[in-house]
Amino acid sequence: MEGSPIDIVIFAPLAPILGVLLFWFIQLLFIESQKYLIEKIRPKHEPLCRFTNFLGVLYQSICHALGYTLTKSGISDFYISVNYGRVSPKKEKKGIFEWISNAFLFMGPFFIPAVLIILYLFLLGFKGFETIIPAQVLYLKYTFGGQLTTYGVNLYNFTNNFLNFLVNLNLLHPGHFGFLLLLIFLGLGIRPSHIGEKKVDRVNMIYDLKNIWKLITHKPIYIILLFSVTYLFFYISLLLGQIWYIIFFSFLGWLSIISIVALFITHMILYLIKTTDEIIGRKKYLLYIIIPLSYILARIFFHYIKADFDLSTSLFIMILSTILVLYLSKRKKKEKKTQKFKTKIDIKSLEKIDEGETDER
Amino acid sequence: MKDEELLNNERREKILSPHPLSFMKFQFLCIFLLIWGIIVGWIVNFSEWQSGFVNNFFFALSFWGIGLLLAGIIASLSTVRWSIFILYLTVFLTGTLIIYWQGIQNSIGIFAPIYTIIASIIGFLLVEWYRRSHKYIITDQRLIFKGGIATKRERSLRYENVVEYDSESGVLGQIFGFGTIIPQTPSGVGMGSDSAMAAGGVALGEKKAKLFGLIGGEKEVQTPRTRTYYELHGVYPFKEVKQLLEKHKQGSAPTTHHKEQVAFQQQQIDIQKQMRALLKMQKEEKEELPTPPIKDKTTSEEE
Repeated sequence: MEGSPIDIVIFAPLAPILGVLLFWFIQLLFIESQKYLIEKIRPKHEPLCRFTNFLGVLYQSICHALGYTLTKSGISDFYISVNYGRVSPKKEKKGIFEWISNAFLFMGPFFIPAVLIILYLFLLGFKGFETIIPAQVLYLKYTFGGQLTTYGVNLYNFTNNFLNFLVNLNLLHPGHFGFLLLLIFLGLGIRPSHIGEKKVDRVNMIYDLKNIWKLITHKPIYIILLFSVTYLFFYISLLLGQIWYIIFFSFLGWLSIISIVALFITHMILYLIKTTDEIIGRKKYLLYIIIPLSYILARIFFHYIKADFDLSTSLFIMILSTILVLYLSKRKKKEKKTQKFKTKIDIKSLEKIDEGETDER
Repeated sequence: MKDEELLNNERREKILSPHPLSFMKFQFLCIFLLIWGIIVGWIVNFSEWQSGFVNNFFFALSFWGIGLLLAGIIASLSTVRWSIFILYLTVFLTGTLIIYWQGIQNSIGIFAPIYTIIASIIGFLLVEWYRRSHKYIITDQRLIFKGGIATKRERSLRYENVVEYDSESGVLGQIFGFGTIIPQTPSGVGMGSDSAMAAGGVALGEKKAKLFGLIGGEKEVQTPRTRTYYELHGVYPFKEVKQLLEKHKQGSAPTTHHKEQVAFQQQQIDIQKQMRALLKMQKEEKEELPTPPIKDKTTSEEE
């Protein structure tokens, strides 16, 4: 084992924590952007927005209930509606237990719903959960650099496998189709501060961060305790020569990656809805028909003409045809708009006629 | 509703029908059939377990049937309605009969999924037909409920006969803005009962007699419930309709202020009656007494 003692004792445990924080921040940005998109489509798609609210409240309430269960406070009341959720404990516990329950409420929705996806992936036989130590940092694995590199490599491997799995999704496979639905539902619901019936300006990313900051500063002793436990976990892993510490944080990183991908997919869907709203007439329904139709036709085509990347190509065809139809519909609409003030005869030709007339005179 | 069906001075305010998703409990049974049909079709024809079903009619039939019946049992137990199980059993038995009748045992992999999907589509259509048979009319004087596929039912309820409204809106209702409103009357229309039974078995001994004693208890709870024809089932927009009905009820029912006013008016009438009686008495007394001679006005002036 190489590396300076200060590096190993003080800085090394921080590396994966920083990594998780970075991904969590990216997740927050995506959530904020999603909220903006939802607000944009809200006037025309009130039920969809209510549904996303419900998912958000559901995840929040489940996380809160999980917090109470883990702290052995028990649950006396569990109520969920589209705009509001309430979880009450059986025993009001103070101190660290209350703090943990609140931490679950504020932080849980970022990570816990993604655990469902991990479980689903496991059931589908996904092979991307391997954690490795790169050979280059084998002797430096307990240093800051070694920890960061290992964390990064593990995250890269998972992301690579996960994206590979996504582009090879077989949407005619009930399991894969269910996975996509779950991923979309996850993406729609990851919102620690949900949008209520009406827009509330103070409920945004800053509001979430303020809540978390309050949680930290309210009882700094608990944060110190949490860090101490984390460091202790690192030292135990170090002494036993295990990589449990990095595995744990890699797992949190995977959850973040899944959430970010889910948010990205829902962004695409919300953007599609928003753009489709701008198309006037029945043409917009054509777009929703073209999505499944193009995929099924592509799959039928590749069923008879065998190709290596049939699944990913079918998905690609589906996305491409959707974009193409969207572009054509929007272009026609633009043309119609600009033609409003156009004369039937070209202005230039009119000018020529005018000139001809004056010449004659 | 035709105008001639309206009463004198009656004004029609809203004609409603249940929201397309308000019969989700029935639609869900069809959704399950649809999903199960797709799953069976995929597993038997395209999955990695496909080979297990080739030339194995009974295995494929059992797989299809067990899935259907198991879902039927679970749904029946959770909703305490054996009709769901009977429905799935009917789908399974009818399918099996068709297979034997047509002798298409070798094509079960194609028939079973298609048949299940067709059954689900028929189910969807029936639910939709049932939904469309409902019509609720809100007028300024009463509520009219109409419905029925074969037998046409109609119920008219005046607002003064409504004791209270019970309303509910599930998750789907909250998302899509619909809900159910049950008007309750003093006669008990709009109330149903939920009964739960607990039973335990006791063996009385093997030697004497193999008897099986059953100890049971039943508990009944009165709950707002009625047929979908007699309630405003899954109406949209829920909040608006609820507000309108409450307004009408308030308009027809006497409030405390009204009651006070009526009591005051009653007091006034009583006082007036007493005064009239008093005046009458005075008049009668005057009539009994001899009347003094009245001086002639003209003669006195002359004097």
